[in-house]
This record gives sequence, C-alpha cells and structure tokens, in this order.
Amino acid sequence: ETFLSRIRSFEYSQRNAVLVPVATLGVGGMLVYWLRSRHKIKTIEMGDGWWGSGERPLKGKEDESIRPFRIETSDKEIEDLHYRLERARYTPPLEEAAFHYGFNSSYLQKVVAYWRNQFDWRKQVEVLNKYPHFQTTIEGINIHFIHVKPSYVPHGKAVQPLLMVHGWPGSFYEFYKIIPLLTEPARHGLNEGDIVFEVICPSIPGYGFSEAPHKQGFDSIATARIFHKLMNRLGFKEYYLQGGDWGSHITSIMAQMLPQSVKGLHLNLIFVGKQGLGRMISVVLGAYVPWLVGLTREDARRTYPFIQKNVYDLLRESGYLHIQATKPDTAGCGLNDSPVGLAAYILEKFSTWTDKSFLNKDNGGLESKYSLDELLTNVMIYWVTSSIVSSVRFYKENITSDPDLSALSRVGVYVPTGIAAFPQEIVHTPRVWAKQIFKNIITYSYMPRGGHFAAFEEPKLLAQDIVHFVRKVEQL
Amino acid sequence: CSFLAGTMLLEIILVLGALIIYFFLSKKKEETLPFKEGWWGKGQKPDTEEDTTIWPFKVETTEEELSDLFRRLDQARFTEPLEDSCFHYGTNSVYLRKVISYWKNQFNWKKQVEVLNKYPQFKTKIQGIDIHFVHAKPPRLPEGRSAKPLLMVHGWPGSFYEFYKIIPLLTDPASHGLSDEHIFEVICPSIPGYGFSEAPHKKGFNSVSAASVFYELMLRLGFNDFYAQGGDWGWLICTNLAQIAPTHVRGLHLNLVSVTNLGFIQLLSILLGRYLPGLFHFQDEDVRRMFPFLEKGLYRILLESGYAHIQATKPDTVGCGLNDSPVGLAAYILEKFSTWTDLEFRNLDNGGLERKFNLDDLLTNIMIYWVSGCIVPSMRFYKENLHKGIGTQKHERLTVQVPTGIASFPNEVMHTPQAWAQKKYTNIVSFHFMPRGGHFAALEEPELLAEDILQFVGKVEKEQLWRKK
Repeated sequence: ETFLSRIRSFEYSQRNAVLVPVATLGVGGMLVYWLRSRHKIKTIEMGDGWWGSGERPLKGKEDESIRPFRIETSDKEIEDLHYRLERARYTPPLEEAAFHYGFNSSYLQKVVAYWRNQFDWRKQVEVLNKYPHFQTTIEGINIHFIHVKPSYVPHGKAVQPLLMVHGWPGSFYEFYKIIPLLTEPARHGLNEGDIVFEVICPSIPGYGFSEAPHKQGFDSIATARIFHKLMNRLGFKEYYLQGGDWGSHITSIMAQMLPQSVKGLHLNLIFVGKQGLGRMISVVLGAYVPWLVGLTREDARRTYPFIQKNVYDLLRESGYLHIQATKPDTAGCGLNDSPVGLAAYILEKFSTWTDKSFLNKDNGGLESKYSLDELLTNVMIYWVTSSIVSSVRFYKENITSDPDLSALSRVGVYVPTGIAAFPQEIVHTPRVWAKQIFKNIITYSYMPRGGHFAAFEEPKLLAQDIVHFVRKVEQL
Repeated sequence: CSFLAGTMLLEIILVLGALIIYFFLSKKKEETLPFKEGWWGKGQKPDTEEDTTIWPFKVETTEEELSDLFRRLDQARFTEPLEDSCFHYGTNSVYLRKVISYWKNQFNWKKQVEVLNKYPQFKTKIQGIDIHFVHAKPPRLPEGRSAKPLLMVHGWPGSFYEFYKIIPLLTDPASHGLSDEHIFEVICPSIPGYGFSEAPHKKGFNSVSAASVFYELMLRLGFNDFYAQGGDWGWLICTNLAQIAPTHVRGLHLNLVSVTNLGFIQLLSILLGRYLPGLFHFQDEDVRRMFPFLEKGLYRILLESGYAHIQATKPDTVGCGLNDSPVGLAAYILEKFSTWTDLEFRNLDNGGLERKFNLDDLLTNIMIYWVSGCIVPSMRFYKENLHKGIGTQKHERLTVQVPTGIASFPNEVMHTPQAWAQKKYTNIVSFHFMPRGGHFAALEEPELLAEDILQFVGKVEKEQLWRKK
C-alpha cells in the first residue's frame, strides 16, 4: 500500500529526469554487456614476430612475392650420402631384442643396403616435384609450400581451400598420396565430386625446405600466425584446416586465433591438455561404467587398461620428446652427421606409432605398411635440408612455454571440428573428453584401422572422413 | 554397550599391536642381495669350465683407425645455434667446432694411448664375457706395510680413465703430500658394455649383474677383503656389491648417493624442511643445496633427465647415430661434462668445459667410447636398470650395513642429505660436504676425493668397523 502511494507520489522533477534515464542506461548497459560476454568467444592473441638472422631491418616492406621452387640434387650430394652409408658402424642387437631396445640394427643394415643400392634419389626428387612448389618470405624467413589445384572443377561447384599441416618426424611429403583423393576425388572412386579441394601443404619453419628460425621462441603460435599470413597472401579469406601431430596443435591454434577465417578444422590427433579431478574420476569410473561418464564401448576398448595404455606406454614412448624438449641441439647433432643414425631415429617412429605390436617384430613391421622408397624419401628430406636439429627445437620452444600444452584448453575451439580417431594412434581421446576443448564437434569417427601417420598409411580412409566432415559443414 | 566398547578397544589394541610388531620386524629384517648368476656370451653357454686366466692387455691403435676418424671429423655437418642460446639447447655447435678442430689438429691419440697404457691393464673372462680392468699397485711399499685393495667403478659417460689422476694419490700418497697411513692397490674395471670390456650379448645385464661380475673378479684376483668406491653407475654397482657380499666389503665410499625409496617422512621434509630443518635433521648446507625444491629438485631433474629417459627406453635408436658420427658422440658426452660439473655452465657460450678439464682428458674419454664402439651397449645399461621404473627393483628396498663414507659434492645435479641417505645406508661413518666440485669428482677434484677416501678408510681401520656387522 505504501509502495503504491510512493509511486503515485513520484514527482516529476529535474533531478528524477536525469537520474531515471541514467539508471536505465546503466542497468541496460550492464545487461547488454553480460549477454554479450556470455557468447563472446575468447581468441588467442595473434601477436607478431621476426625470425631472420641479425637485426630486423627497420626500413622497407617485406618482400611478399611468391616464388616458384623446385627441389634439386647433385652428384656431390648423392656421393656424399653413399660414402657415409658405406662406412656406417653398427652395433649388433641383443639376442631376441626385436624392436624393444629401439631400431634393430640387423634390420637397419638391410634398409641401408637398399638405400645405397636400389633407392634412386633423383627419381624421388622428380616425384617430389610433381606438385607445384613455392617459397615466400614471412616474418623474415622463407616459407616453403606446395599448392595443388584440381585440374577439373565440376560446373558451378566451389573449390574448398584446404591447408594441411604435417608433424614430426614427417613432412609435406606425407600428403602426397592423399592430395589426389582430395583434388580429384571422382577419378579415385570417392564421392560424386561434389566436394573438391585445392590443397596447400606448407613446411613448418625449421622443417624440410622452409627456413629455420634464427631466434629463440618459435613455437606453434608463431607457426599458426605465419600460416594465416600465408593463406591471406594466397588470397584466401576462409579455409579448411587439417592436421595430425604438431599439425593438429598448429591448426587448432589457428582456429583459436582467427576463427572467422576457419571454415572447419579436421584432426587425426587430439592434444588434450590439463586434466583435473573430474577427468580422474571419469577415468576410474569409466573402467566399470563407461556409459555413465560418456564413454562408448569403443572408447573403453581403446583407453583401458588405463595405466598400461596411458601411463606406461606413454612413458616408454616419450623418451625422444623429453630429450628434444630439453637438449635439442645435442640430440640432433649426431643425426645431422650420420644418415644411418637419422634413419634409425625417424623410422623407429614410423614403426611403433603405426602399430604398437610392431615392437615385437625383428623388422619393426615397417614394410608391411609402407614402401622403403616412401620412408626413405621422407628421411632424405630431413637429410638434404639438414633440418633435424631445427625440427627438434620445436619441441623445446613449445614445451618450455607451455609444459602441458594447455593453452588450447584454456581458450577452447569453437569452429566446426571433425575428428578421425585412428585405432593405433599413440593415445586415444574419447569424444566426451575432446568436447572440453572442442566445443563444436560436427563429426567424430572411429576409423577401422591405421595409426599415427594417417595420411601416409591410410590416405583413402582419411580422405573419406575429411570429405564427410566438410560435406556436413557445408550443409550447416 | 560397555561390552561393545570393550570389543572395540580390544580390536584397536590388536591392530596397533600388529602394526608395531610389523614395523619392528621389518626394521630388523636384514636381507642380503643374492649373487646373480649369469652367462652373457654369444649363443649357448658351453658345457666346458670357464677359462679363468688373466692376461695382460694394452690399448692399441692403427693408422686406419685414425684416418677414418679424421675423415669423419672433416665431413662433419653442423647446425648453427640459435642466437644467444649458449648451452641452453644442448652443446653449442660453434664451440663444438673449436673442439673438433683441436681434435683433428692438436689432439694426439697415439700419445694418449701411451698415457692409457701407463697403468697395467688386464682382461679375464667372467660369466662368458671378457672383463677389462686396470690394476695399479703401489710403486713402493714401506717395510712391513701392505696395500689395501680398492675397487673403483666408473659410470656413464665416463670410463676407467676418469681415475687416472686419483690413482697415484692412492697408490703413492706420500709423494703427493697426503698421509701415507693407508696405501692402496687400485682396481678399476670397465663395466661390461663400456670401453674395453666386452658387451653382454643377452638381455637383462643390470647393476646387480655387474656387481656379481666384479665380485667374482675381486675373488679371482685373490682379494677376500676390499674397499669399494664409486659415483654415477659406480655408486649403484658398489652398493649392490656391498649388499651381495657384506662380509667381503670392508668399506663403501660414494661420491653420489641416490635414494629411491622415499617414504612419507622424506616427502614431508620436502614440504617443510626449509622451515623446520632441525626437525628433519637437515643441516644448513642441506637446505642451501636443496631449496627452493621445485627449482633445485623437480625442475632440475626434468630438465636434465631427457637422456636417461630415452636411453632407458630406446638405447639402440639413440646410440646408433652416435656410433657413426664422432662429432655427435662428442656433443652428447661433452654436454654432460659441462652441465654436471656446474649447472651455471649452461649460461656460457663454451659450456665452461675448459675451466675444469683439459681437452686432452675429455677427448681421451670420448675416444674410449669411439674406438671400442661401445656407446650403444653403454646406454642399454640404463634400460636394464630402469625399464620397470625408478624404485621398483628389489635391491632398491634393501639397506646397506657396510660402513659407508659419503663425499657430497656441491655441484652434483641433485643433493641427497644425510638424513635421507641414512634410510638406506644404515652405517654412515663419514658424510662430508665437499667445498667444490661436481659429478665427475675423480677427474675434476682428485685431491679432495682422495683425502675423503683416506680419512674414511682411516676411520674404518682405526675402529675396525668392518668387524662390527
């Protein structure tokens, strides 16, 4: 009663004429701000950098030309390689060690014999040059990439730009088998050609034919920014991203940095950073009642026994990561000087990360999934560019600035995401855990077979999943 | 109601009683480590008796070996270091180039081989493999005196050569200004898989295997009673030896101690030791060396243990390139001689190596790995010891009753206080904080180490401590 009388006696006065609108504005403003902030997507700062040697030139704009590039070799290079291969010093393996102590040197001798006598580097260089290569200078260093356009575009269909990023110890060469399946799907028996891509595969700075940074601190954030600049320079405003290994980390950061440029993000490996109490509870419960914590039967099959698969196996396989993240120059020194040492180091990963059971084989099961020509071509890319040391420094730069690679999880990824979960990947990430970072998962596929080097080992399966994902995104 | 309370009280007393008895029993339990039989030769073990002869050995070299080395040094491919990175990314390749240049142009391997051969060396077959060792006797023994046998065991990436400076201080202390109350004959074997000892051909050769082999060696040489000294792997092998044969090891001297079965009290001391040192029996020097713990304990270990992680899991992979590239081998080994001597050396362009060592000594040690091609088997030792994880092997839970002397050097990568060491070494006779020096004590500070060994032996002998076991 008194309240009503108060309102009735509300006087129209100058003071009220000012106070009321101000109060409304204030409250309204706060309301609007609160509403907007709930939907505001956090992004990672783009920042800037310069990685050339010496001082950054003050004057003049950076040369933005895109120069065609061809891989070349010489007699001198091949002879030097052969000389080193012929004089390699081996240590006999322990009896019955198979691949449990690392790369079996008896099998290594066979690989090196092939490398010396049958592998034809000149022929492989021609294979490498079948796609157009380019180089361009960004942030002071030369960035190498291949750019493959479809030869035939169906009438009225759009060509989707797709940036595919490799990892370690891989290279742009890992994508050579999958590229035709994406640029000319109809010719390879995939879909009716409604989704067609033009593919760009850069080399991460410090890998292959991209110049290595000369300054400390070159991590995935710098790479992500440089790759955005590259796509921009090529004239693309919106594009799809695909990656595994470091490529997954880099493309995820690209999606967080400039979400408006990323139409979709497809990954074959997920980095899931910090795990809290909730995760631990989920892990324990998941062993008995997986459905209660959102795990599927396939998730359970791939994740348990938990300690064995996620702790022991990981510890057993992460020695390289530990030494590369702390003493990269020491770890890489001998590898840059001994091609045999380099091959053992790299090919061990192609064995174990393709199928863990290959540890039990004397020959590491390598030739059951890959040809020696393609394996050695990848190794040669590291050898002829002398990039092993700069490639492993990437581990130190990333892990020192972000020890559990958790920057991703703090910001979250909101662009449409597609995940291809391969059964022999080093670690399995169920969809329910991936959702903590990837807020917008459009497709999540349990792949029937394949391991870490998906594009290399199962190009058709991966291509089908990428197309399946992009088709769904385009329909959104 | 009171009946229930009575039963409960009885139950509590029973449980407490059981716990007390259990603790008493487990403390008094003095298990020994059994001697580990083994056969490490190639293929099947033959039926014949093992040949126990001991034959003299001399290090040799050839022109072929040298010219092959020089060719590889000439062809070395280096990668420029990042600007201002010093030794933070590992061995700095600009400094490495200088070392390689010295190696090629000034280092004289033939001369160093003669240096190596100045002490008598021998080989003998034990458990199927040839064991190499140095046996240095005193040049002169005063009338009526006898030399005490002292087994000194090296580690990784060291070798028997690390002891070459300390040997004369122990076999002939008087000539070096030290008390000659105790004179030693020194036996420095090479761990199987290192240097001139044959590498095991079978899986499973761990520190207990090495200790068993060296035990057999000492017995074969006629020593029933001896002292043992070690750091790095030598620490563990000598510890195992003292656990296998406590009645034969008069005293155990260590310049590295690592205790892996930390209990609740030790963990508590990590949290509170900085504030209540007295409660945990920490001395001021312990606190100075250990805290802040995150920085000096955990982070340091993570930063410096990458090599151990990869060697304990994929030794054949990581060692492969190092056996083929002498430059890679040098970078890998020299990094340890830099960082483990003084962690501050990481901030120097040249890793501070030549402040404490001379290049001839460093390269001689590297050459031992190169000419014997032993880098891969040397790394396998990590896998054989660590592949199940740290703190999981049976011997890690056993204690040591043999009189023990510990020389604690300040620049060792991680400091173990006496309070923790006592958990394993129940009979610590001397524990000294050394004024300076790092991991490679015998090579870097031979006088300090020799003095500590001498005073330790003095204590053991004076009080005849080896009898009271």
